[in-house]
Amino acid sequence: MGEPAVIFDRVWKKFRRGERHDSLRDLFPSLVRRMVGRQPSGDLADQEFWALQDVSFEASRGEALGIIGPNGAGKSTSLKLLTKILRPTRGHCHVNGRVGAVIEVAAGFHPDLTGRENVFLQGAIMGMKRTEIARRLDEIVDFSGISAFIDTPVKRYSSGMQARLGFSVAAHLEPDVLFIDEVLSVGDMSFQQKCLERMRENVRAGVTLVFVSHNLQAVAALCKRALVCGRGRLLFDGPTEQALTVYLQAAQTTSTRGGTDRPHFRVLNAALKTRDGRVCHTLRPHTECQLTAQIECFIDAEDYCVGIELERTRDLLYCYGTTSEELGMPLRFSRSGERLTISIDFAAHLTRGHYRINLNIRQPRVGRFLLFAESVADFVIEEHETYDGVVDIEPRIALSTETAKTNYVQPATIA
Amino acid sequence: MSTVGWVYRSAGQRLADDVREMLREQRDYRELLYQMTRRDLMLRYKQTVMGFGWAIFMPLVNTVVFSIIFTRVAPLDVGMPYPLFAFCGLLAWNFSASAFRFAMISLTTNTSLVTKVYFPREIFPLSAVLVSLVDFAVGSLAVIALMVYYRVTPTWTLVALPVIVLVHVMFTASLCLLLAMANLFYRDVKYIFEVLVTVWMFATAVLYPVASLSNRFGLLLQLNPMTPIIEGYRSVLMRGSLPDPLSFGVAATMSVVLLVTCWVVFHRAEFQFAENV
Repeated sequence: MGEPAVIFDRVWKKFRRGERHDSLRDLFPSLVRRMVGRQPSGDLADQEFWALQDVSFEASRGEALGIIGPNGAGKSTSLKLLTKILRPTRGHCHVNGRVGAVIEVAAGFHPDLTGRENVFLQGAIMGMKRTEIARRLDEIVDFSGISAFIDTPVKRYSSGMQARLGFSVAAHLEPDVLFIDEVLSVGDMSFQQKCLERMRENVRAGVTLVFVSHNLQAVAALCKRALVCGRGRLLFDGPTEQALTVYLQAAQTTSTRGGTDRPHFRVLNAALKTRDGRVCHTLRPHTECQLTAQIECFIDAEDYCVGIELERTRDLLYCYGTTSEELGMPLRFSRSGERLTISIDFAAHLTRGHYRINLNIRQPRVGRFLLFAESVADFVIEEHETYDGVVDIEPRIALSTETAKTNYVQPATIA
Repeated sequence: MSTVGWVYRSAGQRLADDVREMLREQRDYRELLYQMTRRDLMLRYKQTVMGFGWAIFMPLVNTVVFSIIFTRVAPLDVGMPYPLFAFCGLLAWNFSASAFRFAMISLTTNTSLVTKVYFPREIFPLSAVLVSLVDFAVGSLAVIALMVYYRVTPTWTLVALPVIVLVHVMFTASLCLLLAMANLFYRDVKYIFEVLVTVWMFATAVLYPVASLSNRFGLLLQLNPMTPIIEGYRSVLMRGSLPDPLSFGVAATMSVVLLVTCWVVFHRAEFQFAENV
């Protein structure tokens, strides 16, 4: 394999909060300050913070590397350092080979130019030759699926159309190393799927891919290895499945939404296990799971039931919800200081995605919530059989053909 | 470029390395320079009826106004038909002034590109120069028309024209790089520039020979490279003589030194642009 395609070696990056001296009025005081005492690059001055602290990683040729982490973790900063938009404060980073970077798909688009003119401009910005773009123009336009509007100024495009065209240009680059930053969030499901497929093809063809995304399914589908960032540090570097677990655990925040200032109940711990008792985060569809939780009770509570909700995190789609009362169980009561243990068995008949479980305790007679704990547990369903949906209905498809007797008129093909 | 593991290089070596890198980048990204220039030209005249006609029309209006002033109100002897003198001066001046104006805001109006995509940032101010150069070329057609009208025939000295254009472009480009960079860090530059450029124009031989002013502001006026450049155009086109070797020589030397200096400064400051824009 030889030299790694991407090297990130003990990189530190310092940023300044707020505005720097933006006008000449502020220039002279700051110049004087700088002349009087020059601080070493290792120290933080007022208003400064580390966006990246001592981050090191490498990616070898033909590898697909995912980077995940919450907002402000330093993911985009890393990509900007790799693409030379920013320069590290300390440490160094290096990329071997021709770089294709998609930090924002439509960054180079000018609203007054037509789609076609913008393809040439965007292509040039990404480092393509004019002849190369001209040769692939039809392919690019086809891929975007907006050929009917290619001679319309981009200002009349919807944001989805702009993103489609932008990504299409990027998809037809022929780089050695490709950096992608959260570009799949735009465009509809089928286009996203098309983009993913395209990236997978690239990787198969030997392109090194560094993929930053909040779309965990996409990361799982594309990358074998992933990094987890948090507050400018590298938290984990290893197999994607484990990376997702680390990320989800780090991101898990249990919030309590009660009616009063003082909590009535509090979730002490919660765990999701498979049938064999292993704590799990990545599941196949239809896996039998068990959620267990211990809840502390601070009041004497009467006539309550326990509820469970299942949501898809990407769009907070409400997938399922029930209570112990609906399931025919009697209402309960407990005393202050008691500990309630909840155990819920269920089967995850779900399609690919990231889901979370909320628990609640309420008094149906008075219609009052005593506990509303969001995201006590979450998990990722991994499968490659569907292209969209929530529920896995386990279809079996049978096809057969026979000669039609009627005079069937072929409808006009849709362009 | 890493900040860890600096290899010591002398200042001269660093300069040579930087210049080499600058030239390589321009070669690698020449396609983008072309596309950006094309974009700005298309944008400039999109949704206008007159299109490139504006490039001729604007200096022409000024020429008419000043021709009335300096032939009727306060007659001035410039040694050639006054409209020819004024149009030539205005056209050359406008090339620089519009390039300055356009280049100055080129980085700040393209924030999304500066912060999201990497390519040599020189592309922005340099494409501003090229756009203005195209306008300049279009406007030159009117100079030819005026010369035919006034029956002024150029002589062999016309061969010096490319040299004058080259010096003019180099001087303009160097200030464009400087202004674009300065305005990115300090937005005051735009306002200061507007004041200065007006004063500068009246201190340059655009509408009248500046020889009459030279007693009082002698040295300052002589150091202004725009005067020998504009006078240079008039000499080779209309007077049939070569430009004044001393003053034009000084202007040419200044242009070369300025261009190298400004470009290297720009290149070294470039990596701070994304954080400060």
